[in-house]
Amino acid sequence: MQAWNNILKKIIKTASGRIRLILAIMGLSVALLLILSAVQLQANYHDLLHSKSNQDSIANFLVVNKQLTNANYGNTTLSATAIDDLKKQPFVDAVGILTPSRFKASIESFSSQFPFYTDISFESVPAAFIDVDSTQWQWQPGNDIVPMIAPNLFLDFYNFQFSLSQNLPQLTQEIVKMIIFKVNIQTPNGVVSLKGKVVGFSDRITSLLVPESFMQWANNNYGTLNNAQPSRVVIRTKDPGNPALVQYLKDHQLTTDADKTRFSKYRQIVNVVVQISGVTGGILLLFALLIFSLFIQLTIASCKEEIQLLVTLGAAPKQLRKFLMHRFFPPNVLIIIGTLIIVAIIQYLVALRLQKLYMFINPMLSIYTFATALLFLLILWVVNYTTIQRYIQKENL
Amino acid sequence: MQLQIQQVVPIPLKPNLLNRQSDIWLKGITFLPGTRVKIKAASGTGKTTFIHFLYHLRNDYEGNIFWGDTDIQNFTPAQLAQHRQQKISIVFQDLRLFPNLTARENIELKRVMQQPLYPESTIKEMAEQLGITKILHQRAGICSYGEQQRIAIIRALMQPFEWLLMDEPFSHLDQENTRKAAALITEECNKRNAGFILTDLDDDHYFTYHQNLVL
Repeated sequence: MQAWNNILKKIIKTASGRIRLILAIMGLSVALLLILSAVQLQANYHDLLHSKSNQDSIANFLVVNKQLTNANYGNTTLSATAIDDLKKQPFVDAVGILTPSRFKASIESFSSQFPFYTDISFESVPAAFIDVDSTQWQWQPGNDIVPMIAPNLFLDFYNFQFSLSQNLPQLTQEIVKMIIFKVNIQTPNGVVSLKGKVVGFSDRITSLLVPESFMQWANNNYGTLNNAQPSRVVIRTKDPGNPALVQYLKDHQLTTDADKTRFSKYRQIVNVVVQISGVTGGILLLFALLIFSLFIQLTIASCKEEIQLLVTLGAAPKQLRKFLMHRFFPPNVLIIIGTLIIVAIIQYLVALRLQKLYMFINPMLSIYTFATALLFLLILWVVNYTTIQRYIQKENL
Repeated sequence: MQLQIQQVVPIPLKPNLLNRQSDIWLKGITFLPGTRVKIKAASGTGKTTFIHFLYHLRNDYEGNIFWGDTDIQNFTPAQLAQHRQQKISIVFQDLRLFPNLTARENIELKRVMQQPLYPESTIKEMAEQLGITKILHQRAGICSYGEQQRIAIIRALMQPFEWLLMDEPFSHLDQENTRKAAALITEECNKRNAGFILTDLDDDHYFTYHQNLVL
């Protein structure tokens, strides 16, 4: 077998085609490098957007309401079908209905040293949408104190604006949590007073939240307004920058915190860039495969007479194919391994660099990159095999 | 394996051959295994063409040629190769050596193309017998035609066969070398119980022929 291969090697020498071989290998390498980089780029991009370490917990909750325009003035409630439709969207993980209070209320302080009074309204939301972890966040009829969650925004507004203008002391979160407020609810039969207490602060929903159980009880007992439909919902999403989400909100004339979704525009641009790099890589790869297949054909054509004589003398197509595959396929394996190593090095360096910018990607190659490399190994094998097969058949009578 | 030809006539030569007497063209002939056949033919009567038909190098003919029971037109490339490795060997008139391989490599190629019949040392023994030991390491392309002819003969004898086709195999050999080559061929055919078909321009007495035909 060895002797046979050695003689064949001497017959089908590629000395004259060496430059062609080098060019074909270079073309294929560049194309593979591009396509593997494109795949890895997609994986990194996915990593950056969806991995836990890069996520911002606030940004994943969006409070959505209708855009208030002259056309829908006074009618900004969300219908049950609209909410159901929202729930069905792939980019929405969960929808929580924000229930507004249907009674007039105010809070005031018990202390005369620190007089405080304001009209207020409450909202409630299912517990799953709340990011304050407190054992006090529960209420049953008969309970003395109503727990509340206040937006950080309120406290900031008080500390850095209101207190200064009114010559009032600034309050820390801890101090506020210790204050017991008086909560007055206006009922047809007069004012009902309860006690209230802030148990936590949140950035997620910018309204004063009370437990759902309290809201239900209070609305049932003291609600004077009609059983209104909700006009705001909170949605949980994996990716508030998702262009599909932004488009959906726009199409349905809904609005949300623009800051959180602003990223979607950049996302779209990056998406296009990444796609273009993928398409370019794909086209280049096609050309590289063409070059390689032409190279094989040319090499075989350049020793056409020798192959013809070998066939004449009785060399079997299988023998020739085996030899030619042996000669032309191994460079492909080396090219793939080589490009994988290069992409791996680049990936590692990029990961290190991004780490300094607090962006975290996997320093190792993604499984998709490996899978793509394997896939192309298979494609190259098929191209090699079919080219050789076609040529050998041509040489046979 | 017997060889059989039925009403074969080369298409390009058909008009010329129709008015000529021939033992082969447009006849039905069966060559039984082990038969030694001499085909005498004048120049231009299609001697090489006939050998090429018989070896299935060309198929521009009418009629049928059978190797065993199979019409050679029906062989797949793999079957054809299998027969050329195991059952039918050939010495071409134009020799068809690889000019860039050495004499030894040209012979070795046919030895190792299939499961070797002979050890490598046989190449040397045969080369000695035919007096070409000295040129075994030379490129075949720079050997004299007579030397190349002997290389081609040894190459044909390296493989197993039931039939050996020879197209003017001694055209460039002197009488002494022809005698040696014929002796070697006879010996190898005897070992295999193989037959041969030899074409030449004139009568000769190199072998004891079972059949003498005129093309």
